Amino acid sequence: MTAEVAPQPHSSAHDESEGYLTHERGLKSWLFTLDHKRIGLMYLGSVLAAFLLGGIMALLVRTELLFPGETLMEADTYNQVFTLHGAIMVFLFIIPSVPAALGNFFLPIMLGTKDVAFPKLNLGSFYIYVLGTIFTLIAIIVGHVDTGWTFYTPYSARADSSVIWMTMGVFILGFSSILTGVNFIATVHKMRAPGLHWKRLPLFIWGIYATSIIQVLATPVLAITLFLLTMEKTLTVGIFDPALGGDPVLFQHFFWFYSHPAVYIMILPGMAVVNEVIATFSQRKIFGYMFVAMSSISLALLGFLVWGHHMFTAGMSEYATMVFSALTFLVAIPSGVKVFNWVATLYQGSISFASPMLYSLGFLALFTIGGLTGLFLGILSVDIHLHDTYFVVAHFHYVMVGGTVFGFISGLHYWWPKMTGKMYNETLAKIAFWFVFIGFNVTFFSQFIMGSQGMPRRYYDYLDQFQPLHMASSGGAYILGVGFLIMLFMFIKSLMSGEKAPPNPWASAGYEWLTTTPVHPHNFAEPPVMTRGPYDYHLCTEEELWDGFPEDFEKQAEKA
Amino acid sequence: MNETLPEGTLQLPPQWSTIAPEVDAMYYFIYWVSVVFTIAIFGAMVWFMWKYRRRPGVKSKQPGHATALEITWTFAPLILLVILFHEGFTGYVKGAVAPEDSLEVRVRGMQWNWEFEHRGGVIDDLNYLRVPVNTPVRLVMSSSDVLHSFFIPTMRVKRDVVPGMYSTLWFEATHRTPDITCESDEQCPEAMWCGKVPPGGTERKCSLPIFCTEYCGAPTGITASAFSEGGRNTNHSTMMGDLAVVTMEEYDAFIEEGPPPPPECESADDPAACWGENLHSNYCVACHSVDGVAQAPAPNWKGLYGNQRQFADGSSATADENYIRQSILQPQSQIVQGYSNVNMPPFRFSDRQLDAIIAYMRSLNE
Amino acid sequence: MAHEHHGPAYLAHHFDTPKQQFESAKLGMWLFLAQEILFFSGLFVAYGIFRSWYPESFSVGSHLLDWKMGAVNTVVLLFSSFTAAMAVRAAQIGEQKGVPEKDKLQLGGKVWTSRFLWITLICAGAFMVVKYFEYSHKIHVGTLPGQFFGHPGFDMSAPAGHHFYEEMATAGQLAYESGGEAVVPFHLRTFFGIYFVMTGLHGIHVLIGMGLCLWIIRKNARGDFSADYNTPVDIFALYWHLVDLVWIFLFPLLYLID
Repeated sequence: MTAEVAPQPHSSAHDESEGYLTHERGLKSWLFTLDHKRIGLMYLGSVLAAFLLGGIMALLVRTELLFPGETLMEADTYNQVFTLHGAIMVFLFIIPSVPAALGNFFLPIMLGTKDVAFPKLNLGSFYIYVLGTIFTLIAIIVGHVDTGWTFYTPYSARADSSVIWMTMGVFILGFSSILTGVNFIATVHKMRAPGLHWKRLPLFIWGIYATSIIQVLATPVLAITLFLLTMEKTLTVGIFDPALGGDPVLFQHFFWFYSHPAVYIMILPGMAVVNEVIATFSQRKIFGYMFVAMSSISLALLGFLVWGHHMFTAGMSEYATMVFSALTFLVAIPSGVKVFNWVATLYQGSISFASPMLYSLGFLALFTIGGLTGLFLGILSVDIHLHDTYFVVAHFHYVMVGGTVFGFISGLHYWWPKMTGKMYNETLAKIAFWFVFIGFNVTFFSQFIMGSQGMPRRYYDYLDQFQPLHMASSGGAYILGVGFLIMLFMFIKSLMSGEKAPPNPWASAGYEWLTTTPVHPHNFAEPPVMTRGPYDYHLCTEEELWDGFPEDFEKQAEKA
Repeated sequence: MNETLPEGTLQLPPQWSTIAPEVDAMYYFIYWVSVVFTIAIFGAMVWFMWKYRRRPGVKSKQPGHATALEITWTFAPLILLVILFHEGFTGYVKGAVAPEDSLEVRVRGMQWNWEFEHRGGVIDDLNYLRVPVNTPVRLVMSSSDVLHSFFIPTMRVKRDVVPGMYSTLWFEATHRTPDITCESDEQCPEAMWCGKVPPGGTERKCSLPIFCTEYCGAPTGITASAFSEGGRNTNHSTMMGDLAVVTMEEYDAFIEEGPPPPPECESADDPAACWGENLHSNYCVACHSVDGVAQAPAPNWKGLYGNQRQFADGSSATADENYIRQSILQPQSQIVQGYSNVNMPPFRFSDRQLDAIIAYMRSLNE
Repeated sequence: MAHEHHGPAYLAHHFDTPKQQFESAKLGMWLFLAQEILFFSGLFVAYGIFRSWYPESFSVGSHLLDWKMGAVNTVVLLFSSFTAAMAVRAAQIGEQKGVPEKDKLQLGGKVWTSRFLWITLICAGAFMVVKYFEYSHKIHVGTLPGQFFGHPGFDMSAPAGHHFYEEMATAGQLAYESGGEAVVPFHLRTFFGIYFVMTGLHGIHVLIGMGLCLWIIRKNARGDFSADYNTPVDIFALYWHLVDLVWIFLFPLLYLID
């Protein structure tokens, strides 16, 4: 088999003005675009704004917790701030971050097709997201939402009526997520380029595909739950309110039936990105490709069966508790398979430590810790002690931030040149990485210890004995914040004055690097035919890979 | 008693109950498993990162098929996971099923206080739980408003307290809590806090903290300063209780006599009013001031006794003993004009305590 | 960039063949229906749980619903599902140009597509009219959800009037305590909560279906559909069958089971 993949990246160099960013101009050409790349960028801008907002809330929370008692705000305000931190980060940032922003941009390109299956629906999903965001913002501005992002009844049923704005906002955001999932599944099934059979599918696509399945099957349950909660608050239907004969634990079942799979909606795309990055920067096919792909699918399916492990102390029967605990342990298997295979991919590779790879290696380390601490929580007797303490907070931040956010940032660095056509300052990127990595660990590792010592979560005030650890955690949060600010500066600088990016700056064999930079409006000037897999480095020509490869000194010298 | 107190570790608080050693053994087992895995994974990562770092002219090698390896690391961890599940579950069942001869205590959670009712209907001071040492104690818990969760770190027990249903937990304390008076948490032994004013005195004593771990909110529209003086239980994070482990003799004496008046009131001019003042500063001061200045969120007590009360529904009544008693026991029954109902919990005082509060109110008029 | 035309007008630029376009749309719609089923499943789970907790209240509740109205609506909706299917068939047959008269299939073509769609739309309208009468009656007598139960017109200050007790009595469900005070099962309010949420959400789906139907009628009148391209009709019918299917479960669960 030859590495004949059309179009040849460098022979079909296009006029720069034909890139998707500039081939049409004006605000309207963006607001009404059906181009998945532009929609992806609009999502990217929105989720980054949400991340900034959620991050500010996080710093407010950490600042308040520097000292016991009142530091910055009252208990009531604090409760609103941590609620908003959770709700914004989960619903406005993490869930759409990789799938809607990076997925939208790269899924059709990696499939070698012109667009997603339903471009109008895609734009519609974006505006549904915007509408949901507006509802959420209204809840923040006019309202008083202090229920926690979990909206547990009966507290939420009795809370301020502005909670309705929030629940309706999340309800609407859910439909954005569902429709994106529908779109992606149809695209993966029906729109693959000739030669792109399932065994060649990039692992990024496998991850997004698994995510989409969960989005389509789990999100409607959240939607109906929040709808019922809204009805509870308006019509007092009494399904969740014990005063009217309802059952608050039923709400928790409904909520976690969505929200546990939602954990995989969040982590699978992060894993999906890491596959691509590790393969590229090791110049090696992902070890155990099919096992990694199938582990994504099995995580998606297992994710539906373990929601009860959020409720071990809530009053389920012992029998249900046992079943949920047993199933929960099964989740460790596909997660372990992924980690082992990623490490094995490094073996015999040619590893470059460029900034995207640093974040992916960071992901690997932090996800390992996040995953292993999950075992503590799966063991029933230990979970009883750790449930609803800072141990849980630390655990899910290791998975959500150390996992998903590191994956997202890794992908953002990795694909930045392809998306914007600009390179960024690698030194600044590396400095930002070390701030983020160290800051993150200081922030959240201290929380493991606090939690196992018994510090409950969602506490405004706390005992003196926890103060040193809280102080350390807040200090870490500031380091983390500085890291993100450096990153923001670095990206803005790149947009303003970054060097022009070559088509394949990382010498990747991935399909998305075969097209021009900036990307052609139809992704490829000629519809591509895939004749090799996306990680077949041994089948790539020297031309394809080594041209423009920054670290191959000999080649650089020869060319000079 | 000069028993040595249990000591905690860097990760876990002291073991104060019979099930704690088992829970901790499990914790440390998974902890060491995690450490081994972390070292193995990180070690391999770092080694590969160094050995296969990119060097000029050295190309990567592509992986072949390694099905045997894949199957091994897919299914080998299952053995470990089955062990973990089994051990965790047996431990859990032990913690879930109380011994037959357990002593029962009723626990009522309410925003943001815990009320404990012992056998014979003896209600202890709010947020104060005393249990006998070396005796299994079974708590039967319910909530009158939203979800709460009852958590004692040193006992390794936790259970949600759900409105509309009973939930239970049990533990057997292994050590008596020492009688150490304190002014701040730092003066207390490890994992203890300088609790609320304990019964029988104005001096605070170190006790084991009871936490609420299910988010239950904070009051709205009340400034923090309203809470700065009095009781600590003004929101989810301060919904704490004191756990005092006492000897069986001390416990029996308490059941016999009920919560006693503070000793310093015995010599006071008006012992009842003194006790009432003590109760006020423990339970009521957060909302009810006594300086004669009307302010949110609740009526001022000075001049209240004997006063004519106008209610929100238009009716009125004279504030006599019966009115005050009803307003304390059923706060929602008569709401004074100009005040919205801010969730005053229905306190359950003994008759002697109610008498004391009324006596204190009367003394304010003098 | 100018893009050369690569197929019939209805083929969107990012698809290679009409077959690919049709299959994508169909797959997308089935996925959407899957999420619809999960959406409603939450309500069915709630129904099942509360029914098993409060069987007496649910039994009384089902007697308070007019099964005749429900039955009429079931028939109407089933028939509309049939006409929706016939509309798909008519659109798929197309105009049959150049086919000898004797070989032509009956009830095919644009005109029949339009007729069947109109019948579907009218049936949906009829369903909503019946629903309106049911709802307004319940609001009038006060068989309402939660705290509004026994308060006609959602007016919390209005006490349960003689209409309310009459309603209970005619359904044969009014028991009297020894003191002569009427006893109404407490959890009837939960039954009516679930009744209003389930039928209300279904009703919203019917309304959305009516909007879609109008849109398809307009497209059909414009001549967008042919034997080669009739995906929107097909997709609408799929949606409509789901709406019908949900009602097929709602009717016995709410109206019939004792």
